[in-house]
Amino acid sequence: MFRDLREFLAKLEENGQLVRIKDSIYPEPTIREIGRAATDLPNGPAVIMDNIKGMKDMKVALNVHGSWANIALMMGLDKNTTVQDQFFNFLEAWDKYPGEIKNIDSAKAPCHEVIVKDNINLFEHIPLFRINKWDAACFLSKACVITKDPDEPDNFDTQNVGTYRMQVIGKDQICIQALGFHDIARHITHAEEQNKPLPIAIALGNDPVLTFMASTPVNYDLSEYKYAAAINGIPMELTKALTCNLDIPANAEFVIEGEVQPRVRVPEGPFGEFPGTYSGMRLQSVIKVKSISYRKNPIFENLFMGRPWTEIDYLMGLNTCVPLYKQLKETMPEVHSVNAMYQHGLTTIVSTRNRFGGYAKSVAFRVASTPHGISYCKNIILVDEDVDPFNLEQVMWSLSTRVRAEKDVIVIQNTPGMPLDATSYPAGMGNKFIVDATMPTAPDGLLRDSKLIDNPNSKPFEKVIADLQKAALGK
Amino acid sequence: MKCVRCLKDTAGLLTKAPDGSGAWEMYACSRCNFTWRNTEEDDVIKPELREKSFQFTQEPEDLQILVPIPALRK
Repeated sequence: MFRDLREFLAKLEENGQLVRIKDSIYPEPTIREIGRAATDLPNGPAVIMDNIKGMKDMKVALNVHGSWANIALMMGLDKNTTVQDQFFNFLEAWDKYPGEIKNIDSAKAPCHEVIVKDNINLFEHIPLFRINKWDAACFLSKACVITKDPDEPDNFDTQNVGTYRMQVIGKDQICIQALGFHDIARHITHAEEQNKPLPIAIALGNDPVLTFMASTPVNYDLSEYKYAAAINGIPMELTKALTCNLDIPANAEFVIEGEVQPRVRVPEGPFGEFPGTYSGMRLQSVIKVKSISYRKNPIFENLFMGRPWTEIDYLMGLNTCVPLYKQLKETMPEVHSVNAMYQHGLTTIVSTRNRFGGYAKSVAFRVASTPHGISYCKNIILVDEDVDPFNLEQVMWSLSTRVRAEKDVIVIQNTPGMPLDATSYPAGMGNKFIVDATMPTAPDGLLRDSKLIDNPNSKPFEKVIADLQKAALGK
Repeated sequence: MKCVRCLKDTAGLLTKAPDGSGAWEMYACSRCNFTWRNTEEDDVIKPELREKSFQFTQEPEDLQILVPIPALRK
């Protein structure tokens, strides 16, 4: 569908999902104010700013993935597609793995139209800004970061493409946050065991599906590039990096290349993180930049992240649901769909057929024992298969009419927790809170007066009424 | 120059507005890695107005390391 960010921005604009702010603005605090506003609006559009003081001819794009309308358009769907339908569409595309890779000659790759290797100053080329007020510096919050395992330099599939927060600390120095469970941490550790620098490429402004896959937890030996190609429905165009053997997106707006310095840690943070709170300061790895290349008239795409919901919640929403769904479905085919969109699954709603009395609770135990669910899924809600877990009105209806507190609410104490969640104490410990809002089935005791009102065959009339509504607007 | 966050004399000019307009200057601290622009809000760039909990009062080497430095291979 989209070879690069520019094609997607054109699609958004065509659908009224892209606006441009032409007013002269200071980078702080105005860019963050605009980012917050765009994501707060219903069906919030992407925003391009190109009149930033001191940054003549530079462009910033925010909120590119920041609404369900934009995510639907990324998937090639109508912008009004329901979230559950977007989920099923994503599931179908997921199964098309692996997609095709197309290699582009480095000299012809758009991301190499302008190359800078001497006297590097990132600030002269990229309109960097402080995202949240108490962030330590300007951060890259939406980059695709590419590394290879130094023990397997020729293995394409273990080449990692991930999104990690990065703090620009100098003209040619960037800190990177690698957490122990991140794939990149494994690469850094293998390089450090040999006291070798680790080549790294940071691609900014990519096709929207690659950005989406870079923030998806896929297995270590599966390629994010091949997933992006499968989901995008067109080959992923890659080229060789200028300074090392990495494969980089040929159509990226910017590519920063460098090396992670071995066995060095420097102060990083705080940074306003996805739970809506600031993370503290830690010692993190540091990258020395060796080159920066970019397209003519490049667009700097970054992500504003604040108190939820903001763009990151849309970006990480469906791609948290799908791997969890896949893992549940392996052993529990009764599972119908999974909404794990709340803070990366801290709250997760699963719709399932309650095959026999108490079965839905077993689904919850399975959620709590999936690789992601072990530490993330702490509040687990079960609803029936005919309840759309993405439709919170329906979920609340289930809670209101099907939960017997004495039988359907369970707390399991002192389980693993997610360290960035402020309720996890000590950091890394937590509880599991399970609410079974499915209709009890035998041999469990049944609810009184539980004969449901039938839904009439209303679907055909939805289209009729929607078309009449459109026509009424056109008059 | 004094860092507005750690208050040590370890900061200096990082860069100026790239279009040569003089619209802003940016500074960086080589000790705590804080950076700031001279056009930001007063309570971000004036130490006396900054929120205390966001000041850096520790020694950098006392900060937690999230990914430990591994032993060298033999």
